[in-house]
Amino acid sequence: MNAGTVTLQGQYYDGRQPIGVPATLVFAGPEAMLIGANRSHGYATRQLLVSPRVGRAERFISLPDGGQFQCADQPALDHLPHESQSEGLVAWLEKHLSVALASVAVIAALLLAAYFYGLPAVAERVAARIPIETEQAVGREALVWLDNNQWFKPTHLEQDTQNQIREGFDMLRSGLPLERHYQLEFRASVIGANALALPGGTIVITDDMVHAAETVDEVLAVLAHEIGHVELRHTMRHVLQNSAVAVVAATLTADAASLSVAVAGLPVVLAQTKYSREFEAEADDFAFKLLKRHDRSPEAFATLMERLAKKHDEDQHAFAFLSTHPVTAERVKRARAAANGSASTNHPITQKK
Amino acid sequence: MTEPYANLAERSPENSGQPRALILEFRGSARDYFRIWAVNLCLTLLTAGIFSAWAKVRKKRYFYSHVILDGTPFQYLGRPIPILKGRVIAATLFSVYYLSSHFFTSVMPYILAAGAALAPWVIVRSAAFNARYSAFRNMTFRFDGNYLGALQAIYAWGLIPALVVGTMFQWWGNYKGAAALFGIFGLAFPWWISRLKNFIVSHTSFGGENGKFSATGGQFFKVYFIAGLIVIGAGIITGLGIAGVAASASIKKSQFAFLLFSLPFYAGYVFAFAYVQAHRGNLVWNQTRLGPLRFHSTLRGGAMAWLYLTNAIAIVASVGLLTPWAVIRTLKYRTDHMRVLVEGELSYFHGGDTSAVQAAGAELGEFFDVDLSL
Repeated sequence: MNAGTVTLQGQYYDGRQPIGVPATLVFAGPEAMLIGANRSHGYATRQLLVSPRVGRAERFISLPDGGQFQCADQPALDHLPHESQSEGLVAWLEKHLSVALASVAVIAALLLAAYFYGLPAVAERVAARIPIETEQAVGREALVWLDNNQWFKPTHLEQDTQNQIREGFDMLRSGLPLERHYQLEFRASVIGANALALPGGTIVITDDMVHAAETVDEVLAVLAHEIGHVELRHTMRHVLQNSAVAVVAATLTADAASLSVAVAGLPVVLAQTKYSREFEAEADDFAFKLLKRHDRSPEAFATLMERLAKKHDEDQHAFAFLSTHPVTAERVKRARAAANGSASTNHPITQKK
Repeated sequence: MTEPYANLAERSPENSGQPRALILEFRGSARDYFRIWAVNLCLTLLTAGIFSAWAKVRKKRYFYSHVILDGTPFQYLGRPIPILKGRVIAATLFSVYYLSSHFFTSVMPYILAAGAALAPWVIVRSAAFNARYSAFRNMTFRFDGNYLGALQAIYAWGLIPALVVGTMFQWWGNYKGAAALFGIFGLAFPWWISRLKNFIVSHTSFGGENGKFSATGGQFFKVYFIAGLIVIGAGIITGLGIAGVAASASIKKSQFAFLLFSLPFYAGYVFAFAYVQAHRGNLVWNQTRLGPLRFHSTLRGGAMAWLYLTNAIAIVASVGLLTPWAVIRTLKYRTDHMRVLVEGELSYFHGGDTSAVQAAGAELGEFFDVDLSL
């Protein structure tokens, strides 16, 4: 026995029956010896393979003849050949609380940066490189589906009204990069006063929306907003951002998902609605600029939004709390700011609600 | 050197006839697992997900090696590369599905059909991987189910084909057809689950002994039926509450009442979910035999619901930092409510040449050695 001799107490499993036998593994330099209940066996140390360290778990040493020796984790095992070299470093990182805390800080920084800056910026660039034609088939199918499933009915608007609106719409889209992809559709619908931009550049405006507007300028303000959605590629960015959020959320909550029903879904929904609100605000800003370029005031947008909000409250008294948009006041304020913007950008706009 | 040791270990006088319990314990700690969780999550994010295969190995190793049966921890032998391969395949398939559902809807029926054809393969591969790389006392588990068997277990009753075909030809537009399909599917679901569990258990073996599964579809039906009653009961309370208040009160009050009465519905849903988890788990374990081993699982719906609820609150309140704690206590609850009984001798299990832990590594180069489980 010399100083390099290490003695490990543990269990031996032969691999043929799930029965452990108390045993001792002694190794000295290149030689190792397993001493069991009534016999012993010699091995070369380099032929032994130790399982990776994990937490405080016991370790397993594979023997060249198919047997296995189990013993408590101890530093002496670090000198034996390891089954998985790459895991050694990870196991070392896992051992230190400081590394874990630093990891948490890095995770938080990464997620916040990606969520607020990285992802929107990347999605915007990627979307700009994907031709809008890829969306058109979906847009067409969506319109057909909406038409066939009672959501939309043929419009009852006078031809004159339609022509007037179309004229304004053509004026708004003229000169825009995606000009030739726009298509305006009029429909009567159960969804009430609404307008929507379908993927690929089709914009649908409902009869109720046209009726709710008192001037053509108000209708154009709504259409300018929808044009903003198309021009800024919100459909594609929405798909890209939301799928990225869903994938990251799935990674983060992989452990928690099976435990708690509520935990996994909620953050995704919250994260995605924030992006949706940002798209709305972006489309608003785009619309205000577009209107002003054609010498229309964003004030029309403000009046229409206010009227719709009021009407909405009257129509749906009992469920008002479900559809309260605190955003409306904000949007109206921004529209007015834009309307007065050129004259008085520095003056706060005080607007009674 | 097999024989003398085996005889020595099993020559305990008290285990003749009467089943004896093997001590099962979970020794994982939230503090230790927190470090593993944080480091691996960080590396996964930094490598854009590639490290997730290594992370899975580390986590599985942690859980396995802290579950101790009769003094010996389980051992996880999975390697990152097959897991990475499996994840690349899964990600590719999912992207194809996702793209077609968003942009190329016309090819959707073919994608669904391909998915239906692939499902049995996915089930077999993941079960085989999990079995092959799980070991106890230097013996690995095995899974000998094949594609055809899985195909039968999943599709024998024509449920999924009906659903797939229904979706392909948009029967969903037809509400009566959809309702009928949904009703049939709902009723047959417990029997389907039972077949699937039976397929997995009876093709999993350890030491030459295949699992035996004796639960019936009716027993599963009972579990789902009671869960359904819980949800319906909660729904009725909610409905009555809302209707009662909506008839009388002002807007401000009805807002409050709506929130108040949606709580019992949510609680009912969580409880039903926990009830299914607990009692389905009990049913599967209690009706499973593996050689001389029997299992006695005593999970309770109420306790699980409480666990889920407190976990959710803790995770949300700690912005996710208590996730490892929640994982560990859930596993601890599950292990604490499981008893493993031996009728006879453990020497009943006989490993072959390929069951030893070392042999598991020999198949590493195999192309189809992929892990498709999530």
